[in-house]
Amino acid sequence: MKKRSLFVLSILALGLFSASSLFADKVKLTVWAGDIPDDSPDHAYAKALVAGFQAKYPDIQLDYVGLGNDGFKDKLKVTMASGSGLPDVFQTWGGSVMGGYADAGMLLDLTKELKDVPGSAAAASAVTWKGKIYGVAPFFAVAGLFVNEGIFQANGLKVPATVEGFEKVCDTLKAKGIQPFACGAKDKWPALALYMYMTNRYGGDSSAKASARKLAYDSVAFVKAAQLYQKWVKAGYFGATPLGEGYGDAQQLMFTGKAAMMVTGSWMCANFASADMTDQKIGFYAFPALAKGGVGKATDLMGMTDIGYAASKTGADKKDAVVKFLKYAMSPEACAADPGRICSVPGVKAKNSITAQASAVFGGAKTVTFWWDQDLPPSVTSPLNDTIQTFFLPDTDVKKELSKFEALCVENMGGIKK
Amino acid sequence: MARCLEKGAGHIILFRGGRYVSDSKGRKRIRDRRRGPFVFLCLLPAFLFLAIFLYYPIEETFRIAMTKSTGMGPETYVGFDNYVKLFSNEEFLTGLLHVFQWAFWSVIIQLPLAFLIAFALTYYRNKLTGPLRSIYYLSNVLPSAITAMIGRFIYAPKSGVISSLANTLGWKWLGAIDWLGDPNLAFWSVFALATWAYTGFPIIYLMARIEQIPNEIREAAELDGATGWHYASRIVIPDLKYPFQILAVLCTVGSLKLFDLPYILTTGGPGNATVTLGITLYRHGFINWNYGLAAAIGVVISLLSLGFTIAQFSLGREKGGESL
Repeated sequence: MKKRSLFVLSILALGLFSASSLFADKVKLTVWAGDIPDDSPDHAYAKALVAGFQAKYPDIQLDYVGLGNDGFKDKLKVTMASGSGLPDVFQTWGGSVMGGYADAGMLLDLTKELKDVPGSAAAASAVTWKGKIYGVAPFFAVAGLFVNEGIFQANGLKVPATVEGFEKVCDTLKAKGIQPFACGAKDKWPALALYMYMTNRYGGDSSAKASARKLAYDSVAFVKAAQLYQKWVKAGYFGATPLGEGYGDAQQLMFTGKAAMMVTGSWMCANFASADMTDQKIGFYAFPALAKGGVGKATDLMGMTDIGYAASKTGADKKDAVVKFLKYAMSPEACAADPGRICSVPGVKAKNSITAQASAVFGGAKTVTFWWDQDLPPSVTSPLNDTIQTFFLPDTDVKKELSKFEALCVENMGGIKK
Repeated sequence: MARCLEKGAGHIILFRGGRYVSDSKGRKRIRDRRRGPFVFLCLLPAFLFLAIFLYYPIEETFRIAMTKSTGMGPETYVGFDNYVKLFSNEEFLTGLLHVFQWAFWSVIIQLPLAFLIAFALTYYRNKLTGPLRSIYYLSNVLPSAITAMIGRFIYAPKSGVISSLANTLGWKWLGAIDWLGDPNLAFWSVFALATWAYTGFPIIYLMARIEQIPNEIREAAELDGATGWHYASRIVIPDLKYPFQILAVLCTVGSLKLFDLPYILTTGGPGNATVTLGITLYRHGFINWNYGLAAAIGVVISLLSLGFTIAQFSLGREKGGESL
């Protein structure tokens, strides 16, 4: 009995020893992300990234933790606040949220290592904060006008070339019983893209000036854009129940041909191109400029990183593995797996016609304004989306709402600099 | 080692190394000095657990509420500024009003409804009682996220259950109602769903208490001609005073902390139509990175919960109810 126990113990010890020696040389790299590497088309890139990286670098033990979008954001925020238990690499959309982490000294400066990684300038600038590069952005999203070309063709309509042209198109569509725009304003953030475009078309770089505190958020361009937005809401261009429809409902309206247009991010290209999701013929167009009195042009785009990764300070002692991961994330090999996003890596071809249209629009961009709700300080981003949602209430005094938002900005970002 | 030997109503205590002590009511108790370390060791894990996971976070919440903090970087002491800001913040004040309204209507609607169902299920007991009890309780065991998704499915404009049903029946006016998107209706739509979701527990709780009333009492009442409503109002309701009190406290405190259902259904919108203190706290803490203000809201919720609980039990005691 005693001999048998000794034998079992020695086998166990041997097993433990060989297991530890097996992993002894492996560097463990922890990556937290919102995207779960499952079989969803949206997550094809994440899945290819994990599988491809593990195959290419067997000496690095990759611990990729997919947490879902909201869960990931909350967990990262709490962990960053506590300062311990950080992952080596995390998914990011760049902008001020990433900048906040950088300012708090939580990120790893990889300027030297990543400055020569090929990619679009707009994508690189999204993961750059105060001149330092903290990560990579293999995919970029721009907001644009998704148009149901089938509906337009059937009703003899053309995609408006000016903002004013929308009203005629929308009135025609309404008369035919088709909802002109799908939005998803119940979820608040989907209403932002159109407002950003309207503000740009009226005031050009007014949002950049406002965030630099050279212009107030209740100045002319912002108010005019809000008034136009509200006018369209009152005219029924977003349907009879715009605040009852979330982003998922808005997608359904487009999938089923019940709505003719939607202003949203290019991340929807894959779904709108998928025969499994819709039988409608949908195209992607740049949001037009105003015919008269406008400043912004159709080549001024709104957008930001679609998928990006940044490194935290805990990755400092395994910088080599971190850089390998980030560079692999930017490789054509991994990026080619995505079925519909705009890739910022040269040499990766669009997988469908809508993404090709969106890539062409992105390629012709003269300026790209980052999403306000990602680029402004977090203290004002949620109130910003709340403010925009109020434009959907017919009795709202939009000027008053914008003045309230400006007062909050003064408190959190400072007053207007003269 | 102390040893107890029961004799009659009192105790004869044999001990070594102990001494008699008197408690606040003058009764004699024995304190065995050698049992002290053992008792201390037994209590230590529980005390440490509470200290780390309850008392320390409470202390930190009170402390952070007096700072301007983003959760990262240095904190700045601002005294009571966060509280002053809160009481001039429209979103917070709307949230406060909503939780009071929610608490009031929960007590007014959910408890009587729960009582009626519980009484009917116990008084008119038959084969359906068991299945019905499960059905009513089912809503209570569903996670809030699922309940909210069901709500979205019911209320969705155009494709929702109500809308589709109304359109099928030709009631276009009903099908056109934007249950969650109309600021005048959104609060009540969420509340209606919550009433379905949260009434299950009071039903089961009240049923358990009603079933404890001895059958002899019911038989005696019936002999005296008290059936149905008379039995309920004269015998059952007075007997349920304390359970009602407990449920009222749970309803009120639950309303003050309300977050999940309105957040998933409407994220507090449209505008601030369904915002609650919990949603305001989440927005300030996790979205706006304003930990100080979020902690101040947490303190307000805690104090209100404590205040309401004490007040409700004090009122009950004054009226001769059972004490805690």
